[in-house]
Amino acid sequence: MASPPAAPPPALELSGLTKRYDDGVLALDRFDLTVADGEFFGLLGPNGAGKTTLISAVCNLIRVTAGEIRIFGRDHNEMEARRLIGLAEQDVNLDRFLDVEETLLYHGGYYGLSRARARRRAQEMMEVFDLRAKAGVRAPKLSGGMRRRLLLARALMHEPRLVILDEPTAGVDFELRMELWRYIRRLHSAGTTILLTTHYLEEAEELCEEIALIRNGRLIARDSAEGLREHYAADSLAGVYVKAMSA
Amino acid sequence: MSALLERHRGLIWLTGREVLRVTKLWTQTIAAPVLSAFLFIVVFGLSLGGRIREVDGFSYEVFIVPGLITMAMVQAAYSNNSSSVFQARFDRYIHDILAAPMRSWEVNLGLSLGGVVRALAIAVSLLVLALAAVDVPIRQPGVLAVAVVLALVLFSALGVIVGIYAETFDHHTFVNNILILPLTFLGGVFYSVDSLPSPWQEISHANPIFYLISAVRYGFLGTADVSVALSLAITATLAAAAVAWSSWLFATGRRLKA
Repeated sequence: MASPPAAPPPALELSGLTKRYDDGVLALDRFDLTVADGEFFGLLGPNGAGKTTLISAVCNLIRVTAGEIRIFGRDHNEMEARRLIGLAEQDVNLDRFLDVEETLLYHGGYYGLSRARARRRAQEMMEVFDLRAKAGVRAPKLSGGMRRRLLLARALMHEPRLVILDEPTAGVDFELRMELWRYIRRLHSAGTTILLTTHYLEEAEELCEEIALIRNGRLIARDSAEGLREHYAADSLAGVYVKAMSA
Repeated sequence: MSALLERHRGLIWLTGREVLRVTKLWTQTIAAPVLSAFLFIVVFGLSLGGRIREVDGFSYEVFIVPGLITMAMVQAAYSNNSSSVFQARFDRYIHDILAAPMRSWEVNLGLSLGGVVRALAIAVSLLVLALAAVDVPIRQPGVLAVAVVLALVLFSALGVIVGIYAETFDHHTFVNNILILPLTFLGGVFYSVDSLPSPWQEISHANPIFYLISAVRYGFLGTADVSVALSLAITATLAAAAVAWSSWLFATGRRLKA
């Protein structure tokens, strides 16, 4: 009898991930986490819990103290693993010398896209995120909402399989938030794995299939929103959050 | 060839970005330094040069051209890379580069080449102007090429290093104003170190930029204050040390990644 096909590797696998900063702060403490391929996964926790440190470690932006990070089964330092990740950071970090179209083109180039493919994809992204009218405008001259769109468009330029969104709707108005939600949902329904951090509990409840609660660099719970409510005997995710963080 | 280009596409795009930055700001990055260096040739060379007797067998306006080109080139290579890297760190758009699938040496090289292109654009522009204005000879083109390459490697890498270490914009200008500019002036741009009295002549030999200017001057005029082999060896040693330092920073992530 033929053996069943091997399960696909998880999109993200952290084993014993530890990060101690040079000033001695322990931001992540032997952190284990697995996010399945195609999952919409939320990370919740207060400021300083270690969410951004975790994301930075996955994206090769900090030096890891100990532990292992695997992206679709590959070590996160491998070039192919890095190509599979798209990151939209919490802070707006756009290149001040480039206009909207150049921002997308050069990002595509850094990730190995040919000039022709980068051009096509940049046109698509500008269309999707309603940035075409601003194609020649440099990042510092864009409104806050436009910058946020551009950040997301840049993260998706190279068609990553794992998209990491660090508080993507922080500081944006209600309409844009709804618009970004719609786009993120569409992206997920097309098979992209999404790792989302947010301070908006309703956002996590609305979008995420599974949620992890993180505090002081440690994972304290993970389940669906419903499972967490049940486990903490709470009526809402806000109730879960309060109980979990004060335990 | 196309497979090689494909494998290093990130490096090519990053270099393109650095060059684009230079060309977008061309009035500041190229025109201004060319104009100020050419003014030195006009004011010191053509206006005052008539009152100075020949130096090493050359008229004064010809004698100062190699040093002025060297000074403009090394300052451009340094300040371009230090400001570009510092700005990328300060605004954090360097994250887009560090997260990308590029090897550490590709990121280092890509960030360095902007300064190289800018310095070469300035050097060529100045050379064209100098040839037209004072008819400076190029007697040892091979030595000149080697000296220019070493100068570009040394100061491009130094710019990247300072851009990585700088905490404020003042740090990058401090190194230029307090270290590079005085050492360049004292390295014999405007005079032959041989003409200095003791102990200034001996002290000048402790200045590494003196050897670089000597090598470039030998390339142009075929004459210099010290042996050209010694000049090239000292400059090459410094360039190798600077490249090793910047490579270590990118390979380990020190100062770039928390």
